[in-house]
Amino acid sequence: MGTITLSETNQDVIKNILGKVTNVPMLPQVVMRLLTLIGNSDHSLHEVVKIVESDAALTARILRVSNSAAFFRGNQVHSVSKAILQLGEKMVAGIAIGSCTSDVFKSPLHGYESAEGELWDHSLRTAIASREIASKFAKGVGADLAFTAGLLHDIGKAILSEFLKGSTREMAQKCDAGSYDFLQAEIEHSGTNHAAVGEVLANHWNLPIAIVEAIQHHHSPAAAGDEFRALVYAVHLGDLVAMMGGTGTGADTLAYKIDPGYEEYFTVDKDAIPELMLLVQDEFTRTKSAVFLDEGV
Amino acid sequence: MGTIYVGVGEFAASKTPGDVIKTMALGSCVGIVVLAPSIRAVGMLHVALPDSSINTKRVKEKPGMFADTGIPILLKEMQKLGLTGGKIIVKLAGGASIMDPNNTFNIGKRNILAVKKLLWKYRLGAVSEDLGDSISRTVSVEVDTGRVQISSPGRGTWEL
Repeated sequence: MGTITLSETNQDVIKNILGKVTNVPMLPQVVMRLLTLIGNSDHSLHEVVKIVESDAALTARILRVSNSAAFFRGNQVHSVSKAILQLGEKMVAGIAIGSCTSDVFKSPLHGYESAEGELWDHSLRTAIASREIASKFAKGVGADLAFTAGLLHDIGKAILSEFLKGSTREMAQKCDAGSYDFLQAEIEHSGTNHAAVGEVLANHWNLPIAIVEAIQHHHSPAAAGDEFRALVYAVHLGDLVAMMGGTGTGADTLAYKIDPGYEEYFTVDKDAIPELMLLVQDEFTRTKSAVFLDEGV
Repeated sequence: MGTIYVGVGEFAASKTPGDVIKTMALGSCVGIVVLAPSIRAVGMLHVALPDSSINTKRVKEKPGMFADTGIPILLKEMQKLGLTGGKIIVKLAGGASIMDPNNTFNIGKRNILAVKKLLWKYRLGAVSEDLGDSISRTVSVEVDTGRVQISSPGRGTWEL
């Protein structure tokens, strides 16, 4: 299970981290089936509708969101297929993930000095940015898949956080001195990093391989498998754009390196990043207020 | 009397005793704080991007989003509170960036340059600043004392 970075001195800590991952409840079947389906480019709307309709709570939630002020288009939506067409598959996956994993996403990340709800905000903003970036890539990356992968990219932090408690200031100081990025600081203090822990959790949840790769390599996209690399670059940039917009997870916000390998997929001119940031800001505000207003996430 | 939160692209000014103006988690955005001791008023603007020419429609909805359209609005807001010609003190915070050797994604730096250029137009310059690096900053200013404070997760709180 997983390829957590081992260091001699931290093997006990790593065993504890792995133990913690095994205790995280499995994702509900309906979420798993949706993620697997969306990860497969060759699927129909009908299949998505069938999965959503198999779960009464999810059906109700999706209808409620599609009739909310931000998504309402003049006519009440009563059918799941119309709701999915209106919201887009990515939003459906987002609603499913958000409503079923609130324990993972909602908890404060004490090891990062990050308040309750910030992990979810950062994840949602990364999902939106990853989707927009993927849609601009010359080589085709599924925008819906990029959204889902962006939403899940930092799940490792929910586990790793408590093992970093008490070290946050020291880690921040090392990053500020310019010698480290936060991943290196995490490794020094826990023997591993949030991307590696996320990979273990993703495998524990049996997530589709494309999403596992995005979680594992979102700070090292060049190391992703050939067929997933474009997706992972989209999430890598999406994560950084979310942090630039001020939505990070506390002490590690912005303390990461960009991998310039993205240039193979994405041409950045003078206005590209400001335009992207403006779009992401607007879409984040709209989505956040509509989708998770009263969802307990 | 209370805390006035300034969101992305928003601005506020106050001379109500006890008020605190605060903006959360500046990443590459720049927070511009102005103090007008002659009328005991303070103001704040949260600029996200350097130049409004990328989206003229958004300028009408949210002029504070951009440095070139936001700063004049903030100064007008101070005039509404009675500022006529007295001294204005400016303090700046934010403009951070990720670790990008090519600077392509360095919107923070572009924001800082645009803000300073605009201030210069009004013959204003910052008396103190906490800009750049790779950290997130929350900034607040108190009407009563004019004290400007910055905090960042993992780094505590300090005065600007």
